[in-house]
Amino acid sequence: MAFEYEKYLRMDKIPHLWCPGCGIGVVLKAMLRAIDNMGWDKNDIAFVSGIGCTSRAPGYIDCNTLHTTHGRALTFATGIKMAKPAKHVIIFSGDGDATAIGGNHFIHACRRNIDMTLVVVNNNTYGMTGGQHSPTTPIGYKTSTTSYGNIDPTFDICLLAKAAGASYVARSTVNKGKVLEKYITKGLEHKGFSVIVATANCHTQFGRKNKMGDPISSRKWIETREIPLDKARNMKAAELEDKIITGEFISEEPEQTYWENYNHPIHEYTEAYQGIIEKAQKKSEGENK
Amino acid sequence: MSEKINIPDHYRRWEADIKIGKKEDHVTIGYWRDGCKGCGICVDVCPKQVWEIIEAKDKWNGQVVQVTDAAKCIKCMLCEVHCPDFCIKIY
Repeated sequence: MAFEYEKYLRMDKIPHLWCPGCGIGVVLKAMLRAIDNMGWDKNDIAFVSGIGCTSRAPGYIDCNTLHTTHGRALTFATGIKMAKPAKHVIIFSGDGDATAIGGNHFIHACRRNIDMTLVVVNNNTYGMTGGQHSPTTPIGYKTSTTSYGNIDPTFDICLLAKAAGASYVARSTVNKGKVLEKYITKGLEHKGFSVIVATANCHTQFGRKNKMGDPISSRKWIETREIPLDKARNMKAAELEDKIITGEFISEEPEQTYWENYNHPIHEYTEAYQGIIEKAQKKSEGENK
Repeated sequence: MSEKINIPDHYRRWEADIKIGKKEDHVTIGYWRDGCKGCGICVDVCPKQVWEIIEAKDKWNGQVVQVTDAAKCIKCMLCEVHCPDFCIKIY
């Protein structure tokens, strides 16, 4: 049975401005289905984005939305969550937005373990501004600023989030829309900071310079590089070069050993903050008497 | 038919009686031509070649899609999940 996306969209703004075959559309659909799985009221959702191709998403979604400055989506979202802890805050961000200019905000939001869900659409480039190389462009690939091939090593966003202290981390790709829906639903259910990375295609800016200028070959390129996490655990680092490791990096049950469970969060931030408010109120009441 | 079909009037429609395994079923495919950008993802993901690319002079890359034979559909919903432009509805 078809899903009714119209319920969550501003239909007068559709068709959207993303390129034909853009992976962001697939991720957005997965996210709308995940929101529907939760059964939340539209007024209880706050939807935040930064700058980039993904930043257009709040314009199309019919709930409380906020389009913020480049890289600062997480800071605005943290403010919303602390002022209104009952709201469900979702951030839709790109790889440049979350890990390059907003990298600092990203690791500190992970450290605080504040109850928000971050969806990172990783398309390996800065699509909106003309295809410059981003922190996730694989080594050897050409972009408009690396005409002879990129030499910068890449960030693994999932491992970065895990090490910084996020309490739910998962990654899938645009080829698996249903898996993305499952992971985002789990992230929304989870109490604490959850990061879901969706590897997407940008054939217009990234693919065109690397001999995959149409959506089909770009999606195939992503599909051939996917490795499930369980399989990747027993593989050597050299084999995993230029691969996309998919799966749940941290799920509900924390793992046992110290190194695997490194920096596992102690508490959720808004709850701890509520405790501080109560403490301060008690103290001021005591002083007034 | 138990479920309600909610396809807007401006969508193109194809209907067919299909058989999934031994189960008899009915499929209605809705397609919004004005919203379609002709990326061809539905043609690629479909395991049964239900969709095909046709020429369209009014589109930027000169192509849109259409259903060749709705009776081939197995309701796997891959095209609906993977269409980035909210153009396909299957009931």
